[in-house]
Order: sequence, then C-alpha cells, then structure tokens
Amino acid sequence: MAAALTLDGVSKRYGDFQAVRDLSFEVEKGTICGFLGPNGAGKTSTIRMILGLQGVTSGRIGILGADDGRKVRDRIGFLPEERGLYKKMTPVDAIAFFGALKGLPTGEGRRRAREMLDAQGLGAAKKRKMKELSKGMAQKVQLIASVVHRPEFVILDEPFSGLDPVNQQGLEAVIRQLAADGATVLFSTHVMQHAERLCDKVVLLARGQKAFEGTVTEARATTPRFLELEGAISPDQAAALPGVSGVEVVSDHDGVRVLKAALGQGGRGQDALKAAFLGGLDVRRFELREPSLHDAFIGLTGDNPDIDQSVKAGAEAAR
Amino acid sequence: MSRILLIARREYAAYARTVGFWLSLLAFPIFAVLGGAIPILIRTSEPVREVVVVEEGPQAAGLAAAVQSAVRLDQERREERRREMTAVAEKQGGAAGASAAGDALDRLGDLRLRIVAAPADLTAAAPGAAREAVARRYLGDELPEAQQLDSVVLLDRTDGKPSARVWTRRATDDTVEDFIRDALRGANRREAFEGAGINTAVVEEAERFRPEVTALSPRSASGGEVSFRDRLPGIIGLASGFILWSLIITGASILLNSVMEEKSNKILEVLLSSASASEILTGKVLGVALLTATVMLAWGGIGAFGLISAAPETAAMVGAVLMDGGLIGYFIAYAVGGYLMYAVLFAAIGAFCETPRDAQTLMGPIMMILVVPIIVMQMALQTPDASVVRILSWVPFFTPFLMSARAPSEPPMIEIVGTMAGMFAFALLMVWVAGRAFRAGALSDVKLSWRSFAGAIRGGGK
Repeated sequence: MAAALTLDGVSKRYGDFQAVRDLSFEVEKGTICGFLGPNGAGKTSTIRMILGLQGVTSGRIGILGADDGRKVRDRIGFLPEERGLYKKMTPVDAIAFFGALKGLPTGEGRRRAREMLDAQGLGAAKKRKMKELSKGMAQKVQLIASVVHRPEFVILDEPFSGLDPVNQQGLEAVIRQLAADGATVLFSTHVMQHAERLCDKVVLLARGQKAFEGTVTEARATTPRFLELEGAISPDQAAALPGVSGVEVVSDHDGVRVLKAALGQGGRGQDALKAAFLGGLDVRRFELREPSLHDAFIGLTGDNPDIDQSVKAGAEAAR
Repeated sequence: MSRILLIARREYAAYARTVGFWLSLLAFPIFAVLGGAIPILIRTSEPVREVVVVEEGPQAAGLAAAVQSAVRLDQERREERRREMTAVAEKQGGAAGASAAGDALDRLGDLRLRIVAAPADLTAAAPGAAREAVARRYLGDELPEAQQLDSVVLLDRTDGKPSARVWTRRATDDTVEDFIRDALRGANRREAFEGAGINTAVVEEAERFRPEVTALSPRSASGGEVSFRDRLPGIIGLASGFILWSLIITGASILLNSVMEEKSNKILEVLLSSASASEILTGKVLGVALLTATVMLAWGGIGAFGLISAAPETAAMVGAVLMDGGLIGYFIAYAVGGYLMYAVLFAAIGAFCETPRDAQTLMGPIMMILVVPIIVMQMALQTPDASVVRILSWVPFFTPFLMSARAPSEPPMIEIVGTMAGMFAFALLMVWVAGRAFRAGALSDVKLSWRSFAGAIRGGGK
C-alpha cells in the first residue's frame, strides 16, 4: 500500500531544547494511524512540521506526494489541539469560510455545513453564534470545519480532549467514517483506549523519540501477559510461581495486596494457578490479563502516557 | 476567490457588520458638529442679566453714567466686529458664507447683561448696610420673579478712585463683576486723562483706530495680496496630516486587536494550516485597509456635503487645492505607505499577544514615538521648511504625516520623491520583517518582549 505520509529522520530543535529526535515512520493511504505519547512528547511539534507550519531542523517529510505540507494544504484537514473559531460567526458561516480557504466554493461549503451539522445533531445550532454554543458543540463544529472540504489526509491533534464520553464515542464514529470514505487519518492522543479501538497502526513517541511503530496487536505483543493476584501474598511468594518473570505491587492494604506478575516466555497461567493452590497461598482473586496498549506503552518507554512529560522534565530540571 | 481576498472579506465584514463600527464612524462628524455648536448653544442659552447700578453718594457721581456708556461702547464694538467679520466671510465664502458668519456672530455677539432702572426703595435706602439689605432682598427668592434682579452694583470711590461692590444672585457668576471692573478702569483712565489736560475724545478716537494691513506675497494666487485661498493649502495639509495620523493609528489598532483576538481564540493556528502567514497578513491588512477607506470616504463625504451646503465657494476652493498639482495623489500615496508600515508592525505584535496588556511592552514606546509627528506637524503649518521639519520628514515612520502637512507648501521635488521612495522602501522592509515575526508569533507561546520579537524576526518561525 502506498504511503500517504513519510517521515525520514526528522528532528526539531528549539534553541537548546530537542523536541523531536530522528523520527521516522510511514502512514499508508486510507488507514487510521494513532500518534501516541504523553503531553510534551513532541506530537504537536511533529504535526506542525508535517503541515509545514514549522520547518524541520533536519530530516525529510513527504505528504501526499509533496515534500512540504504547505504545497498540499488544500488536500489536508487539520484540527489543532487548542481549538477556537470566530465567536461572532454562525457555525454555517465558520465552516463555509474555512472550507473556502481550502478551495471549496462558498455556496457548496454552506450546503455541506448544514448537512454535516444536521448529521451531528447540531441542526438547531446552525443559526446561533459560536459564542453561544457549548464547548462540545463548538468542538464538533470545528471538526466539521476541518473536514468539510473532504480532505485526503486528516490530522487531528488530541481530538478527544475536553469531550464527554458520549461525544468521544461520536468522534470515534466520525474518524471511522472518514477512513471508510478513503481519507488517511493521523490523530494524536495520550489516551490509549481510543487508539486501541480505532487504529490500524500506532506510532509511540516518548521524549521526542519513536518508541514503537506497528499495529496495536504488535504493540501489545511487545509486553508480556501478566497475572493479577489479590490476597495475603508477598511479592516473593508470587515471584516463586512457575513462569513468573517479575512482580510489581499495585496496592497494599494491611497485608492484602494486589500484585501484577509478568509471565515470562512460555509461562502459562494455569501452571502458576496450580502452584499457588498446591502451595497453600491465600489467593482471593486470580486473573490472567492480556496487556493493553497502555501497558505496552509503559513497557516500551518506561513512561506513563498520562503524565505530562514537559512538566516532568521541568520538575527534574528543578531538582 | 483567493485566500487573501477571503480573509480580507471576513476581516472587513467582521467589523462593518457591527453597529459599533457605524456608531464610531459617525461619532467623529457628530462630535465635530457638536464641538462647534455646543459653545454657541451655551452662549445663546445664557440669560441676559438684569443689572441695577446705584451710586453710593455724591462722591460716586458720574460712575453710573460711565458704566452705561461702557455698555453702549461695548455694543458698538461688537457691531463693528460683526461687520468686519461678515465682510471677510463674504470675500472668502460669498453671500452664503457672509450670511452664515453673520448668523453665528449674531448668536454670539450680544452682551449678556442689561442695565435696568433701580427700584425706588433701593435708591431711597441709606447707603451702606441699609441699601445692601434691600439689595439682598432683590437678589433672593422672596420677591415675585418679575421683580427679582440678577445683580446690584453699588458704585463708590475708594481713595478717590472708582470702586464697586457687586452683588449677584449666583455666587459663581462673575460676568457682571468682570464687566464693571473694565468699565471702572475705563472711567478711571478718562478721569486721569482729563486731570492731565488731555482731551478724552481724542484718546478714544486713537484707541478705536484699526490700521488696514494687507498681506502680500509673490507666491500668492494673485501674485500680490494674500487671500484665504492662499492659506487654504496649509490648512488642508495640516488637517490631512492629522486625519491621516488618526486613520492610520485607528486602522493599525483594529488590526492589532483582531490578530490578538485570533491568537487568544486559537484561530491563528487553524488559519495557518489553510493559508500561508503572508496570505493571512496580507488579507488582514487589506481587509482593515478597506475598512479604513470606508471611514475615510464616509468622513470625506459628510465633510464635503456639509461644506458644499454651507459654503459652496469654499468647497470649490478646497476641491481646487486638492486637485492642484496632484495633491490628492500625494495624500493617497502617504496614506498607503503609512498604513502599510504601521499595520504590519501592529499585526506582528498582535501575533505574540493574547491581551492588550501583553502588547504594552512594545506598544508603549511606539505610541510615544507617534506623538512626535503630531507636535512637528503644527510647526510645519507656519514654517514648512524649518530644519527640524525637513529632517524629520526623512524618517520613514514620520514621513506620511509630516509630508502630508508639508506637501501643499510645495517642498522641493527631491524631498517629495526621496521621502516617498524611502517610505515605500521602509514599508516593504517592514512587511518582510513583520511577516517573519507574525509567522513566528502565531505559533509561539513565548511572552512578548523586545528580545523575543527580535528573535522571531531572525528566526522567522523556522
């Protein structure tokens, strides 16, 4: 499958700060790619370089056959992380204006705007001003504004942030529909569950560097399955079970612990359960768990994606 | 439609569709009219004060007559002044101008006090405390309104010199007091002249003399006598300089606020994904330029209509001055160059700011610099060739205003061409510099400072 986006050894430096380091990956046409990493990992800088809003310090970017995002900006749809539209405009006018900037005739833009607003349940808000809409409604309007011209490549920077669960589900449906209509979608997020449900491929970014590139299944496979044990069990007792390669204490309440025991290569859950039973361990709950993308991310990078890396870096610098 | 025009159209519509824009557009002509009309209204609505003058004894004999005479003389002087002004207005603005000037002077010209006969009980009362008690009664509210007085002047002499005690209904009103002071000063002068054996009639005649002075210049339209027509270009130049300054700063400030709003609402990044920084900047500058042109046309239209209606001859003269030697072309060129310079600079500053407070760091010094042409422009009206005016005209930031003020005085062509070329070259440099800063500022979270602004210009957002 042909690549819609190629990054080859891309780096970005702001003064002394290295935001992105030697980043390379590809996104195939018509696929959904999750660009994952905690806040401050370099996702927004990379997206801005892809769009041509910022230059690369080194490396090369190819998008839709062009060597600069600016050359194909009419074929790209972009939803930035920090969102905003003209407060005094109506949703239809705002969508038509941004569509027109992408080459869509204004009349057609207004027609599509009305159609898409109706489809998103915003029919009643068409004639209201943007400042009168709720945050969730405004975000939907902005998403529509970024795709009204039916782009071939859609870049969504943290599209789920600030949305309630119902609207997050709605947005997932929109992203699936965009891909079903043939668009390539690259979206950044630090919430792994969305990527697990949506992505054909994920790129994991940590401290400006790529930690992984592949499918969600491949990402999970990088992390061992594990057992979750609960009871009056010590970490040493759990570590002695057959097939267990490492133990982490998740919680400890007066000696009743929740332990996470990684299974090593060839380790089997039933062997561990049998040994625990025969050994007379006080096991009150035993669960064999497949690793999530979140687990895989932590396993691959050693970072928790929920922690803002820029804040963490700042705290470390302060120390 | 190109992106530049789309952005320009949105920018224009965003302001032109608001009621506030049209209100502020009309505010200037309305205030200009009110500025002229309000003093007339205040003056004409001022009541004519009814004043009684009483001599406090034989020693004050003749002082009441002197005050009455002063009133008469004052009215004669005002009448004479009115005739002179009407003649000048007729000469410059035709019959309509004379009529308008006459009406205005009629409204402003009257002395707002009248000497009335003293009530019998006032004159009958003994001088001093008793008479003052009666005076108080006439100035208070206990008598019917028809009998009330505005002022009672008790005339006397102190050390042989005229003096007065002026009682007034309102403690804050010093109109009568001032008039009586002048009248008694005149009376004293006459007495002094008579005491020295000088004929007062001769003195008064000499004081009334107004020499006829004619201003002449070989550069006047007639080649001799200087008329209002010859002075008009200077007035138009100065007015154009001020209007240009006001419009350019207003336009540039609109742009600053517009960019700040887009920055704070996170719209700039979306725009940048749809259009280049140059397209956005150009579109916005163009949109606000159209807005400024709308204001200029509206003001010009209202002004022209008012002038043609009130003084058609003067309007024709103004038109002739503007067309003469392509003066209007210079004004347009200076407006374009000046607007371009300041608009792009303000837009670039706006790209770094989310609130007006953020912008203060750079806007403070810029606004201080902008006061300079306002001061120098006034000097340019009298002495357009003064060294300081000529030198500052070459500073591109001041060129549009100072050269607009100087252009009607026909400065050397080398100065016109040189300053204009310098201004446009500098404007282009500003476009380049501001474009780089705008691009960098639009995506930057860095706090605005001279250092960050200079860094952005160097880096250009790369």
